[in-house]
Amino acid sequence: MKIKSLFLVLTICISIAVQAQKSEYNAQSISDSLKENANAVVRLNQIDILIASQRSMTIKTKRVITVLNEKGLRAIDAIEWYNKSTTVRSIEAIVYDGLGNEIKKIKRKDFKDQSAVSGSTLFSENRYVFLDYTPIVYPFTLIYESEVQTSTTAFIPEWKPLTDYFLSVEKSILNVNCPSNLGFKKKEANFSDFKIVKSTDTPTQLSYTATHILAQKREEYSPDFDVIFPVVTMGLEYFNLEGVDGNAKTWKEYGQWFSEKILSGTDDLSAETKTKIRTLVGNETDPIKKARIVYHYVQEKTRYIFIHVGIGGWKPMPASDVDRLGYGDCKALSNYTKALLEAVDVPAYYTELYGDEDKMDIKSDFVSIQGNHVILCVPNKDKYLFLECTSQDIPFGYQANFTDDRNVIVMKPDGGEIIRTKIYDDTDNTKSSKGSYTVAPDGTLSGTVTMVSEGTRYGRKYYLEKMQPTDQEKHYKEYWDNINNLKIDKLAFVNDKEAIRFTENVAISAVNYGTIANNKMMVPVNAFTQYTGSVKRIRNRKTPFEIARGSADSDEIKVVLPAGFSVEFLPANFESKTKFGSYTTEIIKKDDNNLIYKRTLFVKSGLYANKDYDEYRLFMEQVNRNDNAKIILTKN
Amino acid sequence: MSLNKSVLLLLLLSVCLQSNAQEFKLGKVSIAELQQKQHPKDTTAVAAILFEKGEVHFEFTQDNGFTMVTEVATRIKIYKKEGYDFSNQKVAYYIGGSTKENVSFTDAATYNLVDGKIEKTKLKSDGEFNEKVNRYWGQVKIALPNVKVGSVIEFKYTVKSSRYGSLQDWQFQNSIPVNYSEFKTYIPEYYSYKPSMKGFITPKVTEEKKQKTINYSYREPAEPGSAITTSSSQEKLEFQETKTTYVAENLPALKEEAFVNNINNYASSVSHELSVIKYPNRPYEYYSTDWAAVTKTIYDYDDFGPELNKTGYFEDDLKIVLAGLNTTDEKISALLNYVKNAVKWNDYTGYSCNDGVKKAYKDKTGNVAEINLMLTAMLRYAGLTANPVLVSTRSNGIALFPNRTAFNYVIAAVETPQGVVLLDATDKFAMPNVLPFRALNWVGRLIRKDGTSQEIDLMPKVASMDTIAMNYTVDANGQISGKLREQKTDHEALLFRKNADAVTADMYLEKLENEYKKIEISDYVRANEKELQLPVSETFAFKGANLCEIIGGKIYISPLLFFAKEQNPFKQEVREYPVDFGYPFLEKYAINITIPDGYEVETLPVAAILKMQDDLGAFKFMTNVSGNIIQIAMTHQINTPIISSEYYPMLKDYYQGMLAKQSEKIILKKI
Repeated sequence: MKIKSLFLVLTICISIAVQAQKSEYNAQSISDSLKENANAVVRLNQIDILIASQRSMTIKTKRVITVLNEKGLRAIDAIEWYNKSTTVRSIEAIVYDGLGNEIKKIKRKDFKDQSAVSGSTLFSENRYVFLDYTPIVYPFTLIYESEVQTSTTAFIPEWKPLTDYFLSVEKSILNVNCPSNLGFKKKEANFSDFKIVKSTDTPTQLSYTATHILAQKREEYSPDFDVIFPVVTMGLEYFNLEGVDGNAKTWKEYGQWFSEKILSGTDDLSAETKTKIRTLVGNETDPIKKARIVYHYVQEKTRYIFIHVGIGGWKPMPASDVDRLGYGDCKALSNYTKALLEAVDVPAYYTELYGDEDKMDIKSDFVSIQGNHVILCVPNKDKYLFLECTSQDIPFGYQANFTDDRNVIVMKPDGGEIIRTKIYDDTDNTKSSKGSYTVAPDGTLSGTVTMVSEGTRYGRKYYLEKMQPTDQEKHYKEYWDNINNLKIDKLAFVNDKEAIRFTENVAISAVNYGTIANNKMMVPVNAFTQYTGSVKRIRNRKTPFEIARGSADSDEIKVVLPAGFSVEFLPANFESKTKFGSYTTEIIKKDDNNLIYKRTLFVKSGLYANKDYDEYRLFMEQVNRNDNAKIILTKN
Repeated sequence: MSLNKSVLLLLLLSVCLQSNAQEFKLGKVSIAELQQKQHPKDTTAVAAILFEKGEVHFEFTQDNGFTMVTEVATRIKIYKKEGYDFSNQKVAYYIGGSTKENVSFTDAATYNLVDGKIEKTKLKSDGEFNEKVNRYWGQVKIALPNVKVGSVIEFKYTVKSSRYGSLQDWQFQNSIPVNYSEFKTYIPEYYSYKPSMKGFITPKVTEEKKQKTINYSYREPAEPGSAITTSSSQEKLEFQETKTTYVAENLPALKEEAFVNNINNYASSVSHELSVIKYPNRPYEYYSTDWAAVTKTIYDYDDFGPELNKTGYFEDDLKIVLAGLNTTDEKISALLNYVKNAVKWNDYTGYSCNDGVKKAYKDKTGNVAEINLMLTAMLRYAGLTANPVLVSTRSNGIALFPNRTAFNYVIAAVETPQGVVLLDATDKFAMPNVLPFRALNWVGRLIRKDGTSQEIDLMPKVASMDTIAMNYTVDANGQISGKLREQKTDHEALLFRKNADAVTADMYLEKLENEYKKIEISDYVRANEKELQLPVSETFAFKGANLCEIIGGKIYISPLLFFAKEQNPFKQEVREYPVDFGYPFLEKYAINITIPDGYEVETLPVAAILKMQDDLGAFKFMTNVSGNIIQIAMTHQINTPIISSEYYPMLKDYYQGMLAKQSEKIILKKI
């Protein structure tokens, strides 16, 4: 009897719950403002984080998503990762149609289970469970619930009430509970302009509720999502990383812990290897020159393979193993290079950072394990040099476009220290084009050009050398998409890794470059560096825009016009100066058939206000239009 | 004499073969191979397969009967750092069935030349990884140690399997050059496999038959294939074994080209599929031998033919759907729409049902087979002559040879007096005879109720139309304002509907404005977006400031404005593989341009007609001036979905001529 009544209570509870969900999450009840620009609406996203001890954290997720169309499917995000230290205790979902009628219950066994191996990852201990649901009707509402338990407390998930573009939010809740002795800390960012209420904020409890966040459009040249939208970063001073306890209040302490508990014992090398590298370095005494020799040795000896094993992928594979196997990931290869450098008395420090085209900083005011990449830091008098150890090709000390201009955490012998990496100045990112072209009486173009790229521009070019000839041909046909019927007649490269300068020598030809009609020929004067791109028009831009890296181009091209024609029209010289940069073109007429075309384009890096965007667009449009200026010739 | 001669020849031959064979043995890497700096025939090669030898044989155990053993030994030379990828290898194995497959790597090592001496670094267990990818597949991966530019690597792997429905596909060609490729099969007389070869390079094939004896002790009845006798004693199994050897040498690297349907259609390879099982004292079991047998086999599968015969689950619902409908066309379109709405595709291909049509109907989700077999059954129920058509999708490659794996997809066909109507209910924008792009892959195979079958051409015959009518006015400042109407049919309409699906009007227009050289669009109206049987159309007014150039007081107009194609899609100098457009099409433009007061036409592009040989395509450009209005009529049509590579130079010239014409300017001067 007792059991029976309990059962009754349970069923009542469940049916009430189901009823509640039905009416509450009916798709029709979503306000119009939340539907605007939205592919999906987050009705509720509640995350409860319970930190029981330094070695135990439970994360409960309840997410109710109304998906309005196919593009909104990714908002469901029904995926949980697991490994030796993390278990997925429960995971399930229920699907309702637009009116709130239940369509399907999805149990754990209906989720898919997959190993986390893809791309250049050779092996990983991580796996994930995910939902692969085929919608049968739009809109539909999915209630997703999961519970994940982990002994790794070094990473508390960030709270982002808004997680994506084209997604609106009715309500998003975070609740954190943590014992007072673990040093729980948090950092809030970008809260202004959003309705976020902090209901509890004590040493052991934290709660936020965000409501009614409108869907955001993605806009070109926007800064990173996390720089514009709200995010709470959390961490513990006393944490555990895959079975290893740690504590750090300062970066200094963090570095000490990391060196002692994670790195120590991974940098031994055999006497034989040490002798070999010492012999190679010989009598060289300059530490940077020694480092250069060691770096080239590593580039020739190793290849990059990502293997995710041991301490959650945070501990590098021993240097002696890399020495024997000749491969490793960023941690292993950096650590190996460090061991070799130490063998020749060059100090080098293991460095964690975000490797990305976007300049992502280690949050220097928030001590915690951060980053997705490892490089090496070598002191160079009062400055530092950074070495990317995963590439077999890039020059010694080259960082552009992946690890440049950002805060990184360097593990120095006395502890960690935040250091900013190399900044490539706008004026150093040069590309100069020098050459000449001739237009034949039938409009055929033939010419040669030498293009020299430096700074960040080097990084956009050096790989050309390694491409297959068919891919090189494809590259140039895209690069010169302003020249139809392009033929590459000759191609030669000089890759000067010492000076970090890449030179392309190209000879080309193209029929019908000059278009002839009724005794007249039109010749676009800028054959080699025409800017054919465009900056998108954005109706009513909201976000600021960013030019991450500046550049400086300069061209000087001799133009030989066909005999038997006379110049009817020459484009006028042009000059434009804006806060985003400057642009000039000039045509010098040597004689009836010989011209010199000069052009400079300088683009300044910077973060600009949203209202400046149109001005920038118009600047680039001027460049586009003037780059397409034409000479008109008349047949004599 | 002649006998002696041939014996001698045979001896010589076997000696030659032997010396050859020695060279192709793992562990015998030569200094010459290590010293080689680049591939002698392809200096751009990043690596090369010096040899690759595979063999398949059958091992007999009394407990399990025959097990299929595949052994592959490979030697690879690394010329450049970009070739390092070849020093990581992986082999997948199936774990989804009741019998497990397993893979093992042996003899894996890297060879380097150090101070003139060969240094061998063996692969140890820390370089080998075994992982369960998902419920169905596992894989073993190796990362060879100590690989540098110039290294030679070697490895061998063995796969043991009881899934003997087909042998491992043998690819003679690879993305890097292959110097020597050999594949041997040792097949006991109980099995017959049908080989299918494809690609431009044909290997040498030799065959040899041999008597084999296997000794074993018999205790209890074993699996089929071993059930020779029932006494419990020492037993002898005698049978004939056929050894077939395929050898190909000096295969060039396979290079991707643009506009190729699927590069694997052209790679040299051989595949084998089981055609007969001939166990003693049992009737022969026939499998695929020709298209008819393949289709019959598939038809007889439990998850194919029988699924077609189930009707009970939909009968009540269909009575409502079909009520009042009389003509074939009405019934076809009603049923296609009904299935499209009732069951959504879960993105799985295959010609076999997974959960079955009944469950798919109930769950409102299913794979390709469930959806289209259900559709076929409904069409039959409505009294139409409907049958399934087996198809190979573009990503699966063209079904060149009769085997069961040649197909991975199924659609429905209705035979009408006007011809066959093809249907696919997995795509919400597909229409009768307008199949999704993935299914447009040469020919399919139609299966009738009695199991007989017939080839069906899948490629569209009707040109998809894109019709544009545009009237615009140019003012003296080069500003343009006008109106435009664009109408699309068939595949063009399908593509449009797909791209516009779930895109808000605002987003769509922003994209269109940017694509069309930053015009400003107003009064946008879209018609028939949901009425699939009608052409979809867009109408809008536009303004543009960047569409004309004023040079030296004259106005230069590109008459097609933003529609002028600026780049030849065919950039390659030579081409090896056919150009695949997917469907024939016709683009048609009618343009009226009003010129500003005080101006007259100085130059007008002259009319032109370009015609491709064999009626493959044609381009027409006509102009006319009356008063202050210039009229342009232009058509561009490609009449066949696939153009073979021999026509490539002509096609490239055609596009070049068309582009040149489209880029010609109208020049206006002041009166």
